Amino acid sequence: MKNGMPLQSACKEFEEDLVLYYYGETSKDECSRIGAHITACVRCRGFLDDLRRLLPQMARSEELPQSFWDNYYRETVAKLAQQDERKHWWRTLIPPMKIWMVPAFGTVAMAVLVIGLLFGKGNLSSFMLRPAEKIPHEILADENQLQFFESMDLLESLTKLEAQDEQPKPEAVNTQSSRQRLQSGIA
Amino acid sequence: MRKEKQIALILGLFLLFSSQVASAASDNWRNLTPTEKDRVLENYQRWQRLPQQDKEHLRDEWNRWQRLPKDERERIKERYDQQRRDRRRD
Repeated sequence: MKNGMPLQSACKEFEEDLVLYYYGETSKDECSRIGAHITACVRCRGFLDDLRRLLPQMARSEELPQSFWDNYYRETVAKLAQQDERKHWWRTLIPPMKIWMVPAFGTVAMAVLVIGLLFGKGNLSSFMLRPAEKIPHEILADENQLQFFESMDLLESLTKLEAQDEQPKPEAVNTQSSRQRLQSGIA
Repeated sequence: MRKEKQIALILGLFLLFSSQVASAASDNWRNLTPTEKDRVLENYQRWQRLPQQDKEHLRDEWNRWQRLPKDERERIKERYDQQRRDRRRD
């Protein structure tokens, strides 16, 4: 009946110390201080008694047969192998290689990529002959910026160009005036 | 874990997008002739020395230019190129 009862409450400041005291993990001074307190305090003594009664039951573990551990080990190893296989599934696509072949293959692939890009863009000669151009980041920030700097001269005279665009062309004026002259002559 | 993957995916897409933008600008730069490249660099240096109000004015003109109808832009561009050719000939 007593087993089902909750733990008695101890003095707040001694609660943790009492657990340590139970496990024998307190220093000599602490031990004597707690010991002195227990003799005087009924609640703490009750708490310690409860600990002595309940904790051994909680810590008691079921003894498992050796066959259980053998099975457990086999299953764990099988699961790890399965996981490892899932993680490197792509390796099955590639035939097994010697360890030095991996970096060698990577280097060759990179070299092929760089040469391919240079030849593909037709820029190999300019890349080899010209020193690296220092292009301000502001220009290459995006396509819009580049176009802006490209057409800056035009923008400066945009208003003037628009005004010219609105004026009728000289030939058009001549044609119009000669037509008017012709019409007045006919009239 | 799922949240981390989503963040990684968003970051990846952002990096991909920004690299595409930068790569497009870089490609356009490469496609320019040496004279055009020099002109762009000169304009950039000139731009840096411009007073703020001139910069703002040019930005406004650029926005206006982009809003112009395509045929009008082509006409103006043609006229501008013609005038430049004429000036060079003189």
